[in-house]
Amino acid sequence: MKRQWGMVIDLDRCTGCEACVAACHAENNIATVGDDQAAKGRTMHWIRVERYWEGEFPDVRLRYQPVFCQQCADAPCESVCPVYATYHNPEGLNAQVYNRCVGTRYCGNACPYNVRFFNFFNPVWDKPLNLQFNPDVSVRSVGIMEKCTFCIQRIKTAEIKALAEKRELKDGEFNPACVQSCPANAMVFGDLDDPQSEVARLAQSNRATKLLEGVGTEPNVICLRSVS
Amino acid sequence: MDRRNFLKIAAVSSAAAALDGCGKPENHLIRFIPEEELIPGVAQRKPGVCTQCPAGCGIQVRVMEGEAEVTRHGQVGLLSMGLAKKLEGNPDHPVNRGKLCAWGQAGLQVTYHPDRIRFPLRRSGPRGSGEYQEISWDEAIKDLSSHLSSLKSPGKASPVAFLTKPLHDHCGVLIEQFLAALGAPPAVKFEFFEQTVLRRANELSFGHHQLPTFDLANSNYVMSFGADFLGTWNSPVSQNLGYGTMRQGRPGLRGKFVQVEARMSQTGANADEWINAKPGTEGLLALGLAHVILSEKLRPAEAAGEAGARIEDWSKGLPDYAPEAVSKLTGVEASRIQRLAREMAAHAPAVAIIGGASLAQTNGLANALAANALNALLGSVEKPGGVFFTPQPPIPGLAARKEGASVRELCGGILAKSTPVEALLIYNANPVFASPSEWRVREALEKVPFIASFGSFVDETSILSDLILPDHSYLESWVDNIPESGTTQAVASLAPPAMNPLHHTRAMPDVLLDVAHQLGGDVGKALPWKTYGDMLQAAFDPLRSHPGSTSAKTADDFWSEVQDKGGWWSAGITKSPAMRAANPSIAPVKVSAPQFDGAAQEYPFNFLPYASQQFLDGSLAHLPWLQEMPDVVSTAMWGTWIEINPQTAERLGIQQGDLVEVASQHGKLQAPALLSPGIAPEVIAMPVGQGHEHYGRYASERGANPIKILAAQVEPQTGALAWSATRVKVKPTGQKGKLILLGGGLRESPREFHHR
Repeated sequence: MKRQWGMVIDLDRCTGCEACVAACHAENNIATVGDDQAAKGRTMHWIRVERYWEGEFPDVRLRYQPVFCQQCADAPCESVCPVYATYHNPEGLNAQVYNRCVGTRYCGNACPYNVRFFNFFNPVWDKPLNLQFNPDVSVRSVGIMEKCTFCIQRIKTAEIKALAEKRELKDGEFNPACVQSCPANAMVFGDLDDPQSEVARLAQSNRATKLLEGVGTEPNVICLRSVS
Repeated sequence: MDRRNFLKIAAVSSAAAALDGCGKPENHLIRFIPEEELIPGVAQRKPGVCTQCPAGCGIQVRVMEGEAEVTRHGQVGLLSMGLAKKLEGNPDHPVNRGKLCAWGQAGLQVTYHPDRIRFPLRRSGPRGSGEYQEISWDEAIKDLSSHLSSLKSPGKASPVAFLTKPLHDHCGVLIEQFLAALGAPPAVKFEFFEQTVLRRANELSFGHHQLPTFDLANSNYVMSFGADFLGTWNSPVSQNLGYGTMRQGRPGLRGKFVQVEARMSQTGANADEWINAKPGTEGLLALGLAHVILSEKLRPAEAAGEAGARIEDWSKGLPDYAPEAVSKLTGVEASRIQRLAREMAAHAPAVAIIGGASLAQTNGLANALAANALNALLGSVEKPGGVFFTPQPPIPGLAARKEGASVRELCGGILAKSTPVEALLIYNANPVFASPSEWRVREALEKVPFIASFGSFVDETSILSDLILPDHSYLESWVDNIPESGTTQAVASLAPPAMNPLHHTRAMPDVLLDVAHQLGGDVGKALPWKTYGDMLQAAFDPLRSHPGSTSAKTADDFWSEVQDKGGWWSAGITKSPAMRAANPSIAPVKVSAPQFDGAAQEYPFNFLPYASQQFLDGSLAHLPWLQEMPDVVSTAMWGTWIEINPQTAERLGIQQGDLVEVASQHGKLQAPALLSPGIAPEVIAMPVGQGHEHYGRYASERGANPIKILAAQVEPQTGALAWSATRVKVKPTGQKGKLILLGGGLRESPREFHHR
């Protein structure tokens, strides 16, 4: 069955709490790089919460914008990869094949959202922090690009389970780690091609917009504008 | 590891297991074969209770089979065991409903932290040097028991003190029973962001000595006076859940949210209207709103009832708090006060929330009472969309919780030689780090002849101990928790260990029971349980006869069902006990102007330390995931900073990242400047949490600790530290500081995205 995985983020609900950021690190074996590397901009936040100041004190506003791979339909990262490490999978994801990647970083340069991260060094986990590793997610090594996968390990697990039980996947049956954690229920994940799904319904909202829509990437992440 | 080593360890371990493995589960060596129920590659979900902050959310632990390197009898071996892989919210738990915050997510790193204390330690060098030698559990328990028994003298109070973080569980009950049996005073509870003022105010206003719960999901208007309720305050996950629904969960209805504070917090950033009021004038503003509502007859005055009676001149319509007068003191325009009051009254149900810096003032209690009175006037107490109090589960023994002395009183007593303390036991409290220098906590504790600590990490306080009996992590032990707020159901969370212990540690309550049994006599009799698990089973059984989340009839069925579900909660919404009449002997309060330490001419800035989104009060600073999680307002990682208004910075010649010196009358510190548009020009803010001397490799010697320059000002009616009542001066040092910002180096700025 054809699917198009997508996500809706309601910016009117998002409170900037960053539960998604910590959840993503835990689920996807993302390395911390330490202060010196962080100062060089080499942290690997597959999801980050950007913040934008508007106005001047005291009439000041601060707005949050979670940013992660937009799983673009027309993804600039895919066309530049010389070794097909980054490609479009049948369910509409920008997938990254780690063991094809040769580390040209072309994809990172092409991505307008800054959501691809390069392993400048082999990641280090002081023992026994390594015992936390999620066995469903491979640990990346030096010279490899990595990025948000919409928790493809969870997608595959759920699909296999549904297949074994000879049934269709149910909407909301599973969620990526960020969505599962989100305390304000600001994130909704699902199949955009299924008109009955919650995510497809929310994507029709008159507040719906896409990040940097003008550059023509056709993201599959839809943001619902904050009302105030 | 090769096969030969594996067999060697297996032989040693099984021989040892045969010798001393009987009885206590902790004495068993970890099994070499996978636990039976674990299938390699298949995840199990076990219930848990989060202990990262006081909210007490229910969690699910994803456990999978894995190989852990452990040390037993000096030998390193690989053991196949169930390992916690991920923490999620428990979908059935009434507080967090399947959701979990960043602190909760990062809790995994507590168990697997490389600097966890792995076995009992006895001090081998001078006190505070951090030099320890490994000892056996038998020695450690004998050492503690003999110290305590040598201090027994019939007829006299026991000179034993217990210092702990506030515990909302049966560990707290056990500690009090242990101390009572010893004849020692009740435990001293310490946390930096204490909630004494708010609990006292709620007791006076509503007869509930506890934190409030807000039904945000049904509110149409929320006004928060300084409470960071979406970030660090009270029960953040449950408040986020309610907030999300208030905004977009009700078709056609969107609640308005107004935040009043002097420095924009993570919560304040979400407000429709952000109001800068002068620090400590939040209660005045609340009464200004009440004045308008009363004088324009938007609500009947008698709606205020008992809560209003706590405020002077309530019945006369608060003549001293007319908008013009309030405007002068708060800095909020009179017309705006009128408009806000009318809006609030028109958009019922409306609710006022007060917390954080507003209460950490010399007039903190009056500020809290004023907000409570406003809620009563709005008719929002125990009404949908308003403020509630979480009913406590009918467990006998919980109600008998005792108030102990404060750390300030304890240390003052030790230094003045008026409180004899011959032995001090410490559990997860770190007042040496988190108290003003003037309290002289370290100096006082150094005078105690014997200190034992149960913590999992060496921190500034536990490094003074002579004996360390390291606790299990909360994933390795029995955990329970009685949420004080965050739900309208009575909840008693409970979970058995989700995994076997990784190191040679023991659960604190089990150690306490062992010590009690070794002491024998009255102490042994007072604590009859063999293990903490037994104590919990006995404590939870009375819940069986109340309608709740389990329908089991027999004690065994009930016990196993409670363990499977992660606790017990009452069926549907329970009504909290009827409000008690407020104590009539308390004279009505007047909200007066706050007092600050330091003359305004010499120390021109209000200093605002605030709970860190990353580390709360610093107790989470040891976790690398949180160190590298950017603070969302500043985007800073791995350090501390000083928030300063750009205009103030320009006037003082300070640029972003400059190392500046902040000095109060009580000390000074240095940190890089962060120019922030969301802070009042006369306020300097700084997150609490960094500046540890000792707290593992990720936190030690990193950043500065704002608590150390605070004045020891207290809120006079409760004795709580007024941590927001210090004035400071600021000057550049001429050097650059280390300011690491995520937002610094991004190429693209989707600013146009937010156009309206």
